Amino acid sequence: MNVQVEPGATSPYVKTQSLICGTLVTTDIKRSRRMYEEAFDMECVEPEKGLMFVREKGHRPGEANYGKPYWVLEVREVADIEVPQEMLNHWGFEAPNQAAVDEAYAQLTAKKAEYGITRVQKPFFRNGSYAIYATDKDSNWWEFEYRTPDLIYTALREKGDQFAD
Amino acid sequence: MSAVTPLLKNQFFSHGTYECNDMPATRRFLVDFLGLDIIRPLKEAQYMWKGGPWSVVCVCVQDGEPKVQAPQNHFKLSVGSAAEVDAAHAAALAHKDEYGIKEIRDVETVDGQRSFKLWDLNNTWWEISTINQSYYDEIFAKGDARH
Repeated sequence: MNVQVEPGATSPYVKTQSLICGTLVTTDIKRSRRMYEEAFDMECVEPEKGLMFVREKGHRPGEANYGKPYWVLEVREVADIEVPQEMLNHWGFEAPNQAAVDEAYAQLTAKKAEYGITRVQKPFFRNGSYAIYATDKDSNWWEFEYRTPDLIYTALREKGDQFAD
Repeated sequence: MSAVTPLLKNQFFSHGTYECNDMPATRRFLVDFLGLDIIRPLKEAQYMWKGGPWSVVCVCVQDGEPKVQAPQNHFKLSVGSAAEVDAAHAAALAHKDEYGIKEIRDVETVDGQRSFKLWDLNNTWWEISTINQSYYDEIFAKGDARH
């Protein structure tokens, strides 16, 4: 691809306030919900048949993260997966420490059939993170990773660009 | 809600991912057009975000085209008003070639929420929408619908 763009627009054309949601699909929303709730410890709600929203826990009134922004996964039930996803199209969770990654590997491996998880990769180190990848029956990829405090995503924002073109 | 002990000690939903094969052009699209914040902590990756602690990791696939995604798999951006959705749509039409935008769907209003989708230079779909966190707060508060 060779796109010619004049750099340096002073104000973006889209006045984005939040990158708020990612969407994905499943062929079985009931199975999928069990995975999110029981394996991944997320909160789910189904506002209509065939549609589910997923977020991390703790955002209800009175809970620790109430009022703070959260990311939403929008999951739709479909007859067929039109575009199977791959490793570079994954979603990621943060682990509290390296041992939690090892424990997740053991737990997911032992119970993967129960939750529609098809494969769990062994833990590995890369770019300062220690992580596992898992895939589900809908071809979605999931990463569970531990990063040292200086390498977590929000800490990296403070450092700014480390590489130029 | 299940009482089962979860398999992951999940602290936080941290990131999603996005493929590109031209880092400068992609950055201009993400920053100058979509209005996202971005840094490049790795030679092969940029991290983008807006309005929250989660990020989307933009990975450069240098040996080919980024994966062709369908609208089923897209990212959603929240803007402040229906007028801003319309303005974004007009800007997409006006600057389509400049930013390598491949397809722009019509604006629609569903359940009071105005939005449109576009397919970008990296074969990824974006939805620009008036949906915001209050919308999701209300849905989570209501709980499951009967169906």
